[in-house]
Amino acid sequence: MRQKDIAFIESGNSLYTLDRFTELPVLRAQSNTTGMQRENISTPDNNTLSVFPYGPSSGGMVESVYFDILTQGERIQKVSYDAGYKNRSIKLWGLSMSEALLRIERMNGVHSAAYSSMFCNICESGIGLDVPEEIGYLRVAMMEAERISSHLFVASRLTGGASQNIAHMNILLLREELLRTFASVFGHRYFFGVNRIGGIGRPVDIKGFQKKVRQISDEYKEIFRTLMDSRVFIDRLDKSAIIRGENSSGPTMRGAGIKKDGRNSHRYYEDLEFQTITADGGDALARFIVRSGEIQESAGIIEQVLSHAENLKMNISVNHEGSAFMSGGYMETPSGDASMIIKTESGKLVAMGFRSPSILNMEAFAESIGGNTFADFLFGYESLGIWICEMGDLL
Amino acid sequence: MKAWILRSFKKGIITSKFPKGKNESASPWSTLPIYTKGRQDPYCPVDAIAEGRVDANRCISCGLCYPEYEPSTDIHGSVSSVSVKALKKSIRLYQIDVGTCGACNVEIMTIASPQYDIARLGISFTNTPRQADALLVSGILTENMREPLKRAYEAMAEPRIVFAVGACAISGSLLGKAVSEALRVDVTVPGCPPDPFTIIDAVQKARGFK
Repeated sequence: MRQKDIAFIESGNSLYTLDRFTELPVLRAQSNTTGMQRENISTPDNNTLSVFPYGPSSGGMVESVYFDILTQGERIQKVSYDAGYKNRSIKLWGLSMSEALLRIERMNGVHSAAYSSMFCNICESGIGLDVPEEIGYLRVAMMEAERISSHLFVASRLTGGASQNIAHMNILLLREELLRTFASVFGHRYFFGVNRIGGIGRPVDIKGFQKKVRQISDEYKEIFRTLMDSRVFIDRLDKSAIIRGENSSGPTMRGAGIKKDGRNSHRYYEDLEFQTITADGGDALARFIVRSGEIQESAGIIEQVLSHAENLKMNISVNHEGSAFMSGGYMETPSGDASMIIKTESGKLVAMGFRSPSILNMEAFAESIGGNTFADFLFGYESLGIWICEMGDLL
Repeated sequence: MKAWILRSFKKGIITSKFPKGKNESASPWSTLPIYTKGRQDPYCPVDAIAEGRVDANRCISCGLCYPEYEPSTDIHGSVSSVSVKALKKSIRLYQIDVGTCGACNVEIMTIASPQYDIARLGISFTNTPRQADALLVSGILTENMREPLKRAYEAMAEPRIVFAVGACAISGSLLGKAVSEALRVDVTVPGCPPDPFTIIDAVQKARGFK
């Protein structure tokens, strides 16, 4: 056994092991990759383990991420990952709050409404800005719409992976209808540029929005029911990547039966009625059921908030130059609970701390996939809704 | 099974006729903003505005130039320096993320959804650069992805077209370096992220259809 193999087996899971970039043979320039795709390692009891390097750029993965999959036959023994390949090291230090907001929005573009709403809320609390109630309601509408879109994306990945092609296409169809509605109402398919500190950046015409969202969620409910009648689909997800306990976040944790949702204690969601969806089992199927239930709940929340958010006006003339404060907050993104703390001096960011749900969920995935077969890898990973982009550094 | 068939009949044909017909939608702020009124050169965080014009390669769709500028909703903003007629019948794409926020990745995948149905145009995705005719690169160029990007490019057969998809890949936008620092870029697809119709339009241009 070579030194690097011992290091790999003993090191376990670790984040941002960028130094391994030069160690891993598959990534070395001009190396003989054919012989290195499958390396056999003999264990003391003479069983053969194989290490399959996967990534960082691989067909079938949405983002660039590297895995070492240690297997015995078809059975996965252990997974080690490196999420640092596409780490963008986003620099916020020394920027004004408005400049930082543009970067926070792009921390995870697919969940930009949640991230930008969280950051705006933190800044507004720090400055002591009294933001109109309607703005809070609009932010909730954007975040819940984004949750539906994100959950539909996860559902499409799962149905696609299970070769449920008709369901897969039907879900993609719904998601695209939803994104087109976002574009016509908010001016952007991913809500870029809508949130501003103190208000919104452009006029928003919400007429008919909740009706369209309800129509999409109802159509999804039918698809979900049909999928739940499919033995093939259920068998693919059932008992894949079982995660128990609180070492995860968002739908992953709720899929393990734990009734925790950041929205229940957030001030934006006060007075709103919705259920915290949970499921038993902690497997990919439970997470899929939670996400499907949350789509219906989110549609209900949007209906509640938009009845308060008519006649929205732009409110972007906020002067926050020279403000000095320390403030923190959190937001339940579609993948789980994100939290952030910032410190400003003379209106510029001088210190910040940040935690994304994908960091927790990735750890939970790597721990849970051991004992599953190769075929379960995709369902385990996709059912967690992990976004590598949000695992990067903020400087 | 019956439920799926009935549902399909209820929905009818929803696939776009684009590029022969007009695009049914556009993400307004992912298209080039144009001057409408007031100050010609308002604040732009990526210095994309000069003398009343917006540089599509730099624009990050932030909308800070509103109301002086408003979106054009023109999805034909891509520029191709190649026209490979050999790919008119079919083209296979490989997507590589070198440092994205995730939005470009998802928009590239969206062109396979039923509203766009790229298979009807002879466009498909492949899971390996070995079988790819074109590389769709998205995101800022991060140091750790330089080598995988180079390796993916080298694995492709000629003619290997490189698309820079999105403002990050084209210019580095707010966050970093452009892809052109590592590879020659043949096609630029502007937008943050580009609208799916803009991506399809760019692929068609590279195949010599326009």
